[in-house]
Amino acid sequence: MIIKKIQIENYLCYYSINTFQFEDGLNIVLGENNEGKTKFFEAVEWLFDGRTDDVVNLISAKKLNEISSGDSFRVSVSMIVEQYETESKISRSFTVNKKATNEIDTSSVLFEGEETDNTTGERIPKNAQNLLDRIFPYQIRKYSMFKGETELNIFDNDEALANLINLFSDARHYEKYTEKGAFLRDKAEKAVEQSTRQNRRNQNAYNLLESEISQLHREKERLKVHLNSTEEEKTKLEKNIKEAEKYANNAKELETINKRIENIETKISLANRIIDFNFTTSLFDENWILVNFEPFHKEFSEKIAAHSIKRRELQSEYDKEKGIKEGEKRVKAELLNNAVPLPDNIPSKAIMEEMLSEKICKVCNRSANPNGTDEEVKAYNFMMSRLKTYLESQAVKENEPEKDELLFKYDYANRLENLSISHEDNLKNLRLIRSDIKDKFELISEREKEKQGFEELLEKEKDERKKILGDSKIADESKLLNVFKNYTHWQEDFKSINKDYFNLNTKFQGILNKIKLKQDEKDKIDLTSASSFLLKTRDILRHIEVIFNETKEKKFDEFINRLESKSNKYLSKINVEAFTGQIKFSKKRIGGDRMKIEVSLFESGGRYFVPGTAVRTSMNISILLAISELANEVRDETYPMIFDAPTSSFGETKTGDFLNLIYETSNQKIILLKDFIGSVKNPDGSIKELFIKNEFNSVKRKKAFWVKLERPFDKNILSTINTEVNPL
Amino acid sequence: MKNLFEKWKEKIPKYHIVFRETLFEKLTRTGGGGEQGREDRGKQFSNNYELYIYAFFFGLYKDEYSPISEGSRKIDFSMPIKTWGSKTNVLGRKDFTNLQENMFISLLAKTDIDLVALEKGELDEDDAVKLLIKTMESYTNGGLILIKEKLEENPNYFLQPTSFVNMILETAD
Repeated sequence: MIIKKIQIENYLCYYSINTFQFEDGLNIVLGENNEGKTKFFEAVEWLFDGRTDDVVNLISAKKLNEISSGDSFRVSVSMIVEQYETESKISRSFTVNKKATNEIDTSSVLFEGEETDNTTGERIPKNAQNLLDRIFPYQIRKYSMFKGETELNIFDNDEALANLINLFSDARHYEKYTEKGAFLRDKAEKAVEQSTRQNRRNQNAYNLLESEISQLHREKERLKVHLNSTEEEKTKLEKNIKEAEKYANNAKELETINKRIENIETKISLANRIIDFNFTTSLFDENWILVNFEPFHKEFSEKIAAHSIKRRELQSEYDKEKGIKEGEKRVKAELLNNAVPLPDNIPSKAIMEEMLSEKICKVCNRSANPNGTDEEVKAYNFMMSRLKTYLESQAVKENEPEKDELLFKYDYANRLENLSISHEDNLKNLRLIRSDIKDKFELISEREKEKQGFEELLEKEKDERKKILGDSKIADESKLLNVFKNYTHWQEDFKSINKDYFNLNTKFQGILNKIKLKQDEKDKIDLTSASSFLLKTRDILRHIEVIFNETKEKKFDEFINRLESKSNKYLSKINVEAFTGQIKFSKKRIGGDRMKIEVSLFESGGRYFVPGTAVRTSMNISILLAISELANEVRDETYPMIFDAPTSSFGETKTGDFLNLIYETSNQKIILLKDFIGSVKNPDGSIKELFIKNEFNSVKRKKAFWVKLERPFDKNILSTINTEVNPL
Repeated sequence: MKNLFEKWKEKIPKYHIVFRETLFEKLTRTGGGGEQGREDRGKQFSNNYELYIYAFFFGLYKDEYSPISEGSRKIDFSMPIKTWGSKTNVLGRKDFTNLQENMFISLLAKTDIDLVALEKGELDEDDAVKLLIKTMESYTNGGLILIKEKLEENPNYFLQPTSFVNMILETAD
């Protein structure tokens, strides 16, 4: 069948009557976000399965605003389809009345159908639901209408596949035989049973076995429930682990790299601590500023020494002038060449006493002994007399001259000399400053070089890390590390649940075996008790049941194989330029005797991988196209497919390629897209004008529409909203 | 009181007001607020007195004796010499006593003080200290002039962390 026309009247943003005339093949409806695409899709959904209550929420605000109280109008969605050259129309509608109080009421919803007679052209009313189910069966609609990318994933629930097989595979023909087979076998069993029971000799043993078998069956059912839930959990974990597997390797690498990076960063920060040296502060704290100070110290000490000499000269002369004989004598006696004597306190009293007691002059390193040679006695006496002079100079004498008689009232020279002497020791420190600074500069320049090396290394490691992150689908590092953390837990859980599952399954199989053994025992009793005709019949019917079951399964497998190969054909077409992998449908027995189909993507070499959104979408669409093709083959009939924004993760170019592929497929497709629309914006960022991009010209299609809001409109007032339908 | 050093340390030397804005505010972190941006990176001296000491030694080494001209406005930063430098070691800084002694030594070497007259009591101690301070202010002034010239030549010069050390090292020639 094909949809020839869809008409939407006063339904939400579709004000008044809006008609979409479709063609067989590819129909494209373009529309910006919030301009009416999804409302179109929902209108069709409402036509098919719509609720009949709450219809107040489906009324066009613009229409409602426009009419006067007391007036009424119709809200409707209708569709004309063509099937086997017969046209059918179904519509869903209701009437809106605007009352005097401006309140509204709505009529009940009408669901109407009519068929046009081929020969007479007469329109014959039909039960709409029956008509719809005939032209577009519910199970097929389930695989025909998709809203958004996420809905494409129909195989996420087990039921979907069962439905699909029931619809399309030959296995469905065997369904009734397997049922009948089981029924007949059961009858035969019962007949044999009855016959056996007539033999009293075996009755007790038989009854016992029967009760044991039924107990085993109860136990089997109980285990099955348990097995099912364990299986579910196991599957969940398995899926998580599979998804994580790829990242887990990356996460391990990432952890190693992160450790290396941390290590390098520590080294850099250590180098920085040395490099970030405050040179200016060291000028003061390390006295670096004194680096060139030595000449000034020299100048100072020379000046002080000169002053000291001058001071003593003056003192000596003053003394002489004053005619102090002792002073004159001392001068003459003690020093040769009329040299200026040292101050009385040099050497100090303590030093003099030490030298006298040890009987040695430590200045000229000669013995000074009162009992020695003449020289030694002379030296000893000299030192003794100097000590005496010093002590006398310190003693307060009664006949000491008045203070004003002193030549020098203050003694600065002594203190300045002390300062000079104490700083003499520092001179060697001053001389070291220059090399200290040089060392520091060298150290820092070395560290800088080292740091540069580390930084280069760091850059490399970071690139490496980027590569790892980029390779994985999770581009976020914390997420990746999280996966790694969970991965370990999942693996542990999986191990333990696998063990549980194995134990449960062993038990389950054990019970099946027990049942079989008991059944065999029962059969043995039958052999001796029941009529051979009944036994033979039973055996034949048992075989027939097995044949039916096996044939059904074989047909099922054939269908799955066809679906797989068709899906892969589409997948490679959709993703002609990109990596896709292979879709695999795998049959899995779960919970003892249930069956399930899993759909996954594999790389060559059989490795499972987790597709990104775009690849997943390609995969799902391929499966859907394959289903549609199979439906066509099996039923000799095509059904339309309606997709709302199925390829939002694709990007325009890929969407274009995708549409061109769809164009080649056999059945009718109505695809709603927001691609290929460009906009001119106002300075405030709002849309001034929309236009269809030139790229759309190269997209093959049978028919295209552009749904867009009538402009201008007030985004705060619903009654200004009207979607216009523009055929392109 | 018979100690010139002690007396000198009580003094608060001054500098030409013109350097407050052009140098002290630019090169020291005193009252500078948060350290951020390019401007602050040039503020290499923690305190005004550090710049003062630096300028003094720099002027001294370059023999740039340049008395502050008569009648110009002089200002100070209200800290006697003895308080210059960390006394508490709170910030891990060291004591400046050695620097103070060396400043004094060089001042005495460079100032024409009649020590004989001083010891005889003919020269007043305060007058001698005044002479020392004048010498100090003159060399500092000379140093500040040189630093200012450097800054005018290249406003970015002091953004290098080693610039002040280099300048001092270069004074050896």
